[in-house]
Amino acid sequence: MSWTSELAEVLGRENVIADPARLRTYECDGLTGYRVQPAMVVLPRSAEEVAAAVRVCARHGVPFVARGAGTGLSGGALPVADGIVISLQRLRRVVEIDPVNLRAVVEPGVTNLDISRAAAPYGLYYAPDPSSQQVCTIGGNVAENSGGAHCLKYGFTVNHVLAAEVVLADGSVTRLGGDSPQLPGYDLLGAFVGSEGTLGIVTQVTVRLLATPAAVRTMVADFATVAGAGDAVTGIIAAGIVPAAVEMLDNLAIQAVAASTQSVYTPDTAAALVVELDGPPDDVEEQFAEVQEICRRYGSTKIMVAADADHRALIWKGRKAAFAAVGRISPNYFVQDGVVPRGRLAEVLGRIAAMADEAGIRVANVFHAGDGNLHPLVLYSEAGGQHDRAEHLSTAIAELCVELGGSLSGEHGIGADKACSMPRMFGEDDLATMLRLRSAFDPDGLCNPGKVFPTPRLCGERPGPYRPHPLEEAGVIERL
Amino acid sequence: MSTVTTYRPSTLAELRDALVDSEGERVAIAGGGSAADWGGAPQYDAVLDTTGMSGLISYNPTDMTVAVQAGMPLATLQETLAENAQWVALDPARAATVGGLVATADAGPVRHTFGTSRDSVIGVTVVLADGTVARSGGHVIKNVAGYDLAKLFHGSLGTLGVLAEVVLRLHPRPAATATLAVPCDAAEAFDLGGRLIHASLEPVAVEYCAGRLLARFDGTAGGVADRLRRARALAGPDAAEAPAHVWDEVAAVSDGSDGDTVVRLGTAPDRTPSLTALIAREAAAHAVTAAMTSSPFAGAHTVRLRGGTPAAHAAVVTALRTEYPATTVCRWTAGLRDELPAWGAPPPAVAVMRAVKHAFDPDDRLGSGRFAPWF
Ligand SMILES: Cc1cc2nc3c(=O)[nH]c(=O)nc-3n(C[C@H](O)[C@H](O)[C@H](O)COP(=O)(O)OP(=O)(O)OC[C@H]3O[C@@H](n4cnc5c(N)ncnc54)[C@H](O)[C@@H]3O)c2cc1C
Ligand SMILES: Cc1cc2nc3c(=O)[nH]c(=O)nc-3n(C[C@H](O)[C@H](O)[C@H](O)COP(=O)(O)OP(=O)(O)OC[C@H]3O[C@@H](n4cnc5c(N)ncnc54)[C@H](O)[C@@H]3O)c2cc1C
Repeated sequence: MSWTSELAEVLGRENVIADPARLRTYECDGLTGYRVQPAMVVLPRSAEEVAAAVRVCARHGVPFVARGAGTGLSGGALPVADGIVISLQRLRRVVEIDPVNLRAVVEPGVTNLDISRAAAPYGLYYAPDPSSQQVCTIGGNVAENSGGAHCLKYGFTVNHVLAAEVVLADGSVTRLGGDSPQLPGYDLLGAFVGSEGTLGIVTQVTVRLLATPAAVRTMVADFATVAGAGDAVTGIIAAGIVPAAVEMLDNLAIQAVAASTQSVYTPDTAAALVVELDGPPDDVEEQFAEVQEICRRYGSTKIMVAADADHRALIWKGRKAAFAAVGRISPNYFVQDGVVPRGRLAEVLGRIAAMADEAGIRVANVFHAGDGNLHPLVLYSEAGGQHDRAEHLSTAIAELCVELGGSLSGEHGIGADKACSMPRMFGEDDLATMLRLRSAFDPDGLCNPGKVFPTPRLCGERPGPYRPHPLEEAGVIERL
Repeated sequence: MSTVTTYRPSTLAELRDALVDSEGERVAIAGGGSAADWGGAPQYDAVLDTTGMSGLISYNPTDMTVAVQAGMPLATLQETLAENAQWVALDPARAATVGGLVATADAGPVRHTFGTSRDSVIGVTVVLADGTVARSGGHVIKNVAGYDLAKLFHGSLGTLGVLAEVVLRLHPRPAATATLAVPCDAAEAFDLGGRLIHASLEPVAVEYCAGRLLARFDGTAGGVADRLRRARALAGPDAAEAPAHVWDEVAAVSDGSDGDTVVRLGTAPDRTPSLTALIAREAAAHAVTAAMTSSPFAGAHTVRLRGGTPAAHAAVVTALRTEYPATTVCRWTAGLRDELPAWGAPPPAVAVMRAVKHAFDPDDRLGSGRFAPWF
């Protein structure tokens, strides 16, 4: 029997898709420029069915790609042509909310926001809050180690996942992590989170829940220059304050927000910082005053304090809708995700502006300033023939971040998008060592192949750009 | 084990050379030596002493990140950071090196809020048994590029490679700190701890040790005073502010001393009372004195056994393992190794751990036998 018929038999004909017209829905994720049609999509209804599908793949050497909501921005869920996509959308049960142990057990297709919704009656919530939280799944979050505005204070997905049930590449099922983080042996769970679907498929997740903070205070501080706002962020961090969130929007981003929703941002300010503090009321009040003082010291032209919860919601609505809003001011755009050390924000923003000018392309900035995670939105017109120039600029920005001592990606992942830039950040031995981990989980390379790591097929035969070996940097070896 | 060679590199290159030169030898990696006993007893022909690699590589107070050689004592690092009112969010650990803390995955009471070193490490450089030098992560606090090898090495107990350099994220030192102590039993402690958390009082540490719940509050002067007052109101008349040195008792139980057996284990938080009862019952049945310290909401516990025979210690640990197989023996009283296997039943993912070990150290040179009988 062919493997496609075997899958149809194991899962039931109504739970597989092979019709090309229907397959089209699955041919890309949020990185829509990359499209591949898979041979088949399967829609398992349980962890057992996921394992059964993977066993068929393992037996026949068929590559498989897990898919949550498909909101990924790096092509992580991009299908493989002769492989299958395993959609986790039907595994969306909140298995348990346990307020006593401060945790939730959920299936991978549950959306990020639905976890907090289910926990809310107990005064609890799930902290990582990607802007896509209404749709993206916890399985996708685990795979990407997703962050969000409030991760500055609370950490990323990896800091909030206690355990995961995982279907391995051979179709066996195991459990990583456990009832407590205090466990003997290698932290396989920690290594799995952020592995972008390349080490196995998550079929159940146990996450930590936090008590809703007693007080929340939010402000928007305007600045006459982007550099001024960047310096203020550096100043806040250096003052030893850990806000829940520090987000920045530049003027172009503010214009985009104003074009799409009721905007509370000053239309003509060069830059705005959204600063939110949360925690015990007295601590918050004291530090909130200090943050305002720091913003003024760095030249803030206007500070607007959120009057109440509705006002705060409007501030956040604008911020979280910003990516989508950019569609109002530009027919096409790329989202970048590089990270720089927080002391270099003003510098990197200046250099991005110069690069954009030189390329004759507009770049809007709306990002997680508190942890140095940029999201330059490179605006272009496909019809106007700007695609290649814009893509080039976008890649150059990510690589600039690495040059400044940062990273190619803060939260969106490497996926198919940045695999070829990995040699900018990591040497051959670094990547080879990471691949040892991959081979331990998935010796045959069936699990989401072609992502994260550069391959000749993907990146061409030319060697990656030069990057010094750690020993070379230490002045020990020389390359002649 | 006839003659044991010791390598004591002070640079990354010397470390790499030591691993290349020692080809064919089984190597024990040693940091400060305070946790050399954890788990199984490794077989070795050579010792790789990391304490010569104790330098500060770079410190950027504005970014709140620091890079150190892995042999740097945590205490030394904390002193440097204190000059800028910063710290690595890990409890004081006397002899421990930064690399040792990552390799043991150990942490103290502030794990309640800050987790373990896994949650503070943002980058590592490691050297594998074959001399491969590899790094992952970097110098920025947010970074998802590539696999996170630091996580893999967390808890590796010297069996995957040598942690050579570690980059850590830092936190500001709080302006004020205060501890509330409440005498109570384990069930009351769990209940009260839960109420402090649900009341959003944000204790940085909640520990149950020696018949007292200790809750520490960090923050601004006004904020800490306010929360201490409200926590006291919740806790009732027996609650009192306690001096900072009450935490020394927690450290004393975690560490133990010569002749003791010390075991670490994890449970779901609400098992804290039944675990406490189990230990008391088994200790009494085998004429051993048991002390315990728990971070109930991290579900992390340490049990210290004192007095009695090695066979009695073995009986208590065996009873514990029946219910909680994932225990680590951190200190072995003399003779206990003859009475008790190094590890209990293996975790579900032991096959993956074995495959990882094989991929990183195919000849089983590093810490050979540390995880026996698992692998
Ligand atoms: C408007 C917008 C805003 C965004 N904002 C943020 C943000 O603030 N922060 C942030 O971090 N990200 C953000 N993202 C990116 C994206 O939402 C996240 O990466 C999210 O975690 C992806 O979840 P998903 O369910 O859509 O996963 P998908 O896109 O379906 O998949 C993402 C990756 O996860 C893998 N995967 C999915 N499910 C599983 C599973 N069960 N087991 C194993 N692997 C799996 C896939 O193979 C793929 O590699 C944003 C995206 C959009 C479109
Ligand atoms: C609350 C608390 C209290 C503590 N109290 C004390 C105390 O009172 N006294 C004390 O001495 N310690 C104490 N510790 C420290 C802790 O328990 C461990 O002892 C410590 O993490 C081990 O560090 P080390 O350098 O001594 O490691 P070692 O004992 O030298 O090694 C421990 C293990 O790690 C491996 N290892 C060490 N360094 C490396 C490396 N660079 N790369 C790879 N593997 C490595 C070794 O092979 C070994 O398996 C305390 C910790 C906490 C959190």
